[in-house]
Amino acid sequence: MNPIITIDKVVDVIAVFKKDKNKKTNCLPAKIRYQNQEIIIKQLALYHPTKAGQRTIHVFDVSDGQNDYRLEFDTQNLIWRLMAMTIN
Amino acid sequence: MKNLLLNKELPQIMHIDLNSAFAMIEQQAHPSLRHKAIGVTNRISKHCCIIAASYEAKNLGIKVGMRLDEALLITPNFIILETDPAKYHYVYQKLMSIMKSYSPSVKMKSIDEGIIDFHDSLKYVHHQSLESIGQEIKEKLKQEIGDWITVNIGIGTNQFLAKVAASLHKPDGMDKIDHKNLIKTYQQLKLTDLTGIASHYEARLNAAGIYTPLDFLQASADTLNRLVFRSVNGENWYQRLRGFEVDNFTTKLGHIGRQWVLNKPTNQNNLLLPSLQFLCQTTGKKLRFKNVDARGIMIWLRFNNGENWYQRKMYKVSFFSDHDIYQKALYLFNQRPNNMIVQTMGITCYQLTKSARNQISLLDQVNRDHWLTTAIDTINEKYGDFKIFSAGSLNSTKLIKQKIPFGGTEYFSLLLQHN
Repeated sequence: MNPIITIDKVVDVIAVFKKDKNKKTNCLPAKIRYQNQEIIIKQLALYHPTKAGQRTIHVFDVSDGQNDYRLEFDTQNLIWRLMAMTIN
Repeated sequence: MKNLLLNKELPQIMHIDLNSAFAMIEQQAHPSLRHKAIGVTNRISKHCCIIAASYEAKNLGIKVGMRLDEALLITPNFIILETDPAKYHYVYQKLMSIMKSYSPSVKMKSIDEGIIDFHDSLKYVHHQSLESIGQEIKEKLKQEIGDWITVNIGIGTNQFLAKVAASLHKPDGMDKIDHKNLIKTYQQLKLTDLTGIASHYEARLNAAGIYTPLDFLQASADTLNRLVFRSVNGENWYQRLRGFEVDNFTTKLGHIGRQWVLNKPTNQNNLLLPSLQFLCQTTGKKLRFKNVDARGIMIWLRFNNGENWYQRKMYKVSFFSDHDIYQKALYLFNQRPNNMIVQTMGITCYQLTKSARNQISLLDQVNRDHWLTTAIDTINEKYGDFKIFSAGSLNSTKLIKQKIPFGGTEYFSLLLQHN
């Protein structure tokens, strides 16, 4: 019924910063390491910023072609968190 | 056909409507959920209400307003997600910024639809036709948000016709209604297809011998005034149907409030009061966000037997602090019939006046209230909502989720200062 699983864990992320090609955002997460597994991101589905008080959090909804992942980058702590994944 | 006195000016109002907005945005964010029947709700529970459904779900017969258990009976594969206001706010901002790049005269009607008035700006937009601007807006939304995003665009001589045009070919349509195709368009529609005509008005129109939009168009202003609407509304409809603008006004803020459907209906004060206190805090936040004070307060309840109850009171002195609102609400709440099981509770503050809080009061207590409230608001704005709040509402802050504000966008920024 609800395929989204909450994870909320700090993860290793490799991100690519592009010049200006992608209008959604110039920062693209490319790879996530979670539970000793590497997830290669194939698609940035949606980017949006949000606020936690005055802290800006950048939210990236991405896909590896099979499952969807929600990644959040906290601009105060410079930490990437894997917040949730959608299992099919 | 007699001369219908239609508005023959060039259509310069564009209505833009995101298709099944929340469901479509979720499908944009979750590629694996595309082409699937999905819905969005504020808080998932067995009987929760679907506030947006994907086109795939709508094609199966799942409608907005349906309960989750009803949708699951139609298709057990139905997927339900909880709302994510920040995501929708981002899309709303993108949509608004694209719209404002064409004209300064942009009015957002709600979080998923808005109007561009090109009356003063069309000649500056590269002499493009409105159809070509509409096409450009569709492409920009796909580029800047995502390729799953589609909008319906309607073009007309007034807001009403633009909205009707936007609903003709869903999803991803674009239509124009002007004096040349107005009658032909009305011939294809039912009365309830017209924005603003629901079953109640339809019955009134039927009683006056009006059964189709074309009958409606041909009815005289006098008939509409006297027999159908019995007010100036009749004259407004007469003008509106012909493409003349009668809806370009701003509504005055009349009341501010919140409501809450309880997870478990109860008559126990220890379970009800935390929720009431929480509703008072969020209502207080809205008052202060709009920089107004209230003099009137109303508490209303719906019981599990379907009965409604309300109590209201006006005060000589205006109020704005969470504490004051709660004290006044509690006084009314305690007058309810005690044995009744409460299913829904709501609070409304009315008789709103512009706040005079920037002026120091002669009464020390008023100043202390103001300073304390300001200090708490400042801390919560900096560190996120409900970092400081009344201990009495401790459980409710986790339980009651902020809802998506339908029909208006004025509280979006407030809603997003969360966590």
